[in-house]
Amino acid sequence: MKKTLAILISLALLLGIAGPAFAEGEDWITLRVETYDREIAGLDVTNCWQLKYAQEHFGDPNHIKLEFVSYARWTEGDLLTTALAGGTAPDICLTYNGGLVQQCIDDEGIWQLDDLLNTYGPNLKAFLGEELLTYGQSDHDGDGTVEQWYLPARRISRANVGNFIREDWLKALNMEKPTNIEEFTAYLRAAKEAQLAGENTTPVSFGIYAPDPMYNVRRWTDAWVDFSQVTKEDWFAYARNPEMLPGAKEGFRWLNTLYHEGIIPETFALTDNDQANDTALIMGYNGFFSQQPDQPWRTDKNYEIELEKNVEGGHWVTVNPFKNESLNKTLHDMYAPAGLSIIIPLTTSEDVAIAAMKYMDWMAIPENMFAMQNGIEGINYEGLTEDGIPYGVKSADAVPDENKMHAGDICFISNGLCYGDDAKNAAALALPFAGYEEDVKASYADSLTDAWTQISFPVSIQSETDYGAAVKSAQGKFLADVVSCDADKFDEVFDAGIQDILNSGAAQMIEEFRAAFQAGNYRGVFPGDL
Amino acid sequence: MTGGTIKRKTPGTGWFSRDWRLYLMLLLPVAFYLIFCYKPMIGVIIAFQKFNMFKGMWGSKWIGLDNFKFVMSMPDFPVALKNTLWLNFLGLIAGFPVPIILAILLNELRCIPFKKVSQTLLYLPHFLSWIIIGGMVLQIFSPKTGVINATLLKWGWIDKSIPFLTDGSHWQGTYTFIGVWQSMGWGTILYLSAITGINMELFEAAKIDGANKLQQIWHVTLPGIRSTIVVLLILNVGQMMNISFDRPYVLGNPMVQNYCDVLSTFVYRAGITNSQFARATAIGLFQSVVGLILITGANLITKKLGEEGIW
Repeated sequence: MKKTLAILISLALLLGIAGPAFAEGEDWITLRVETYDREIAGLDVTNCWQLKYAQEHFGDPNHIKLEFVSYARWTEGDLLTTALAGGTAPDICLTYNGGLVQQCIDDEGIWQLDDLLNTYGPNLKAFLGEELLTYGQSDHDGDGTVEQWYLPARRISRANVGNFIREDWLKALNMEKPTNIEEFTAYLRAAKEAQLAGENTTPVSFGIYAPDPMYNVRRWTDAWVDFSQVTKEDWFAYARNPEMLPGAKEGFRWLNTLYHEGIIPETFALTDNDQANDTALIMGYNGFFSQQPDQPWRTDKNYEIELEKNVEGGHWVTVNPFKNESLNKTLHDMYAPAGLSIIIPLTTSEDVAIAAMKYMDWMAIPENMFAMQNGIEGINYEGLTEDGIPYGVKSADAVPDENKMHAGDICFISNGLCYGDDAKNAAALALPFAGYEEDVKASYADSLTDAWTQISFPVSIQSETDYGAAVKSAQGKFLADVVSCDADKFDEVFDAGIQDILNSGAAQMIEEFRAAFQAGNYRGVFPGDL
Repeated sequence: MTGGTIKRKTPGTGWFSRDWRLYLMLLLPVAFYLIFCYKPMIGVIIAFQKFNMFKGMWGSKWIGLDNFKFVMSMPDFPVALKNTLWLNFLGLIAGFPVPIILAILLNELRCIPFKKVSQTLLYLPHFLSWIIIGGMVLQIFSPKTGVINATLLKWGWIDKSIPFLTDGSHWQGTYTFIGVWQSMGWGTILYLSAITGINMELFEAAKIDGANKLQQIWHVTLPGIRSTIVVLLILNVGQMMNISFDRPYVLGNPMVQNYCDVLSTFVYRAGITNSQFARATAIGLFQSVVGLILITGANLITKKLGEEGIW
């Protein structure tokens, strides 16, 4: 008796592992869609309001069962790579990892989308637009015509840079907002001199961003580049090596000087020091920082409100001091119009691939997109302005769990809230930050002043796949060294560092980027053309 | 059973029917090793392929030793290799004797509650994730703002921060020290159990012969755990080429790049971040082969010296 029971139990366990495989009705198909999970408390992305809405309005009428597959936002690239290699990837895959997409094209593991898009995606095609779609096109088979390999999401706001300064410090020092490097340096020195935050005063907030050390630093050092010596070809050849552009060296020397004057934190090179850097910002120790254009007011890290709590009169305002004298422009880098990449793996059957395209096409219809991005009036937002933009948007914790949503991740064809035209979209950016609308608007305006579109290449750059990470690592070491070395050794350290970066693979990358430029395979803007 | 003859299974033929429950229990660990340790080993073949993730390891192109050549020709490779060996060597020199000393000290403690509390406190760091330890290290060793530097600066004992984390050799010292601190308590477990296994009569005999505490330790305790020490030493030498990823990755920073870059972080960069799995596998295979040579060598030497070795 006992034996029989044991066997029965083991059988039940085994079957339990296999799981119940139930079939849908015959004419129903299941469409699995990748969905980012940002671990917002109370929001189950695999069973959220947006899924129910899409199921009701799109799935049910078309006999398609929608299923959201959740991938953690910050490790999505690794998770998706594993799923693709294992043949278990969702039918619609999303990623910000351009290298992965390129590899999928090279390894021929994804659907070519031209026919699907032309037949089943007229609204989607109109929403994304011809120009944007070219980002997902390349000539993989070498027959002279390009094919559509992925769909780039449309990026609504392309502003990327936010530079902020302490208005209360300016007042205390009786200074105007700086408009060039000289005035800016004077401000930083005066703030340090006056010890505006006591002995903790460190006017510049700065930490090396290890995954891509030059990404943020070039916002500053590009101001020193001598564009009379830079051709358009050079600009693209040195796409990942702004430290090698003529003149940039003086920008790094400037950082070195600031470091020795105690204006840059001594801990700038320590990784994982973000928390200490954040604390310094909200405790009011810093007088300048550079991040995203809406950073001070974001709900997750609200530097403005936290600063106001700690420092009476503390106030962050946008500033635009990095003026390049050779161009007479305050350069800012700007996102490409393409956001995340959407691919359909070859493991997806044709029926399901068609359903996937139909789903994205449905999402591109304005009223559907509005619902998917904004939710329900009275629950997710208070009401609509005259322009039809929601106001009084509730934060996630003010919305009941069954109505919680994440606009961008689930309505993935649009990176950012879209209300039809650019003016409305721009106005909508400042609307969520009640009380700071003017500050936010000014920050976006500064960010888009003299803005150049970031560089990308629509072809596979083998040397970047091979050496990209090694070069970034060498750049991190270079940055740490040139900023912290003795001033009289700067030239020596700088030159040796550049040589290290070249040896680690940058030389090959520069050569290959140059060849891609010469073949016309490049995207982005040369500041000299602005 | 009345009237029946008692069947007696002869040993040798009946081993299975007698012990089948034990074999059944054994099935689970054996299956574990087969499925999770041996089957994945087949995957090393991708080290010799231009790996296409959609075609898998049976459909990808064979390219011989190209992955090995490529990886080993990268300028970071020799640096990472040197650092791996050097940091492991430092860890072995500084870290190997500590658990032995600690185990002997703990063994001599007579106040049981104090002993229990000390042991628990010593084990504790072993269970902390390196991410957490990394945060603590920043709080304690940071220049200027770290507890040590801030205190010493305030007291005027130093006028410049000690670069625990920002100067190469200082960093290696910090790295080793933290490693010893983290693992020493855990390392005592095996030695403590070995000490418990020593015959108490030997201690009594030593006492009667007039040996003091130190002489007892030297002549009874240490020889009693010698075989344990040797086995652990061999295993440690076999691990010289392997280095965990999280510890150097979390504690390292760009300022000490040439001192903290090791094979595991190098693999992560050269292989994993760009989905270059074949190259990552190539380095892994290289590490394993060298590890095998080292462990076999160490075992051979110990046997020559008259110890037991591990096989």
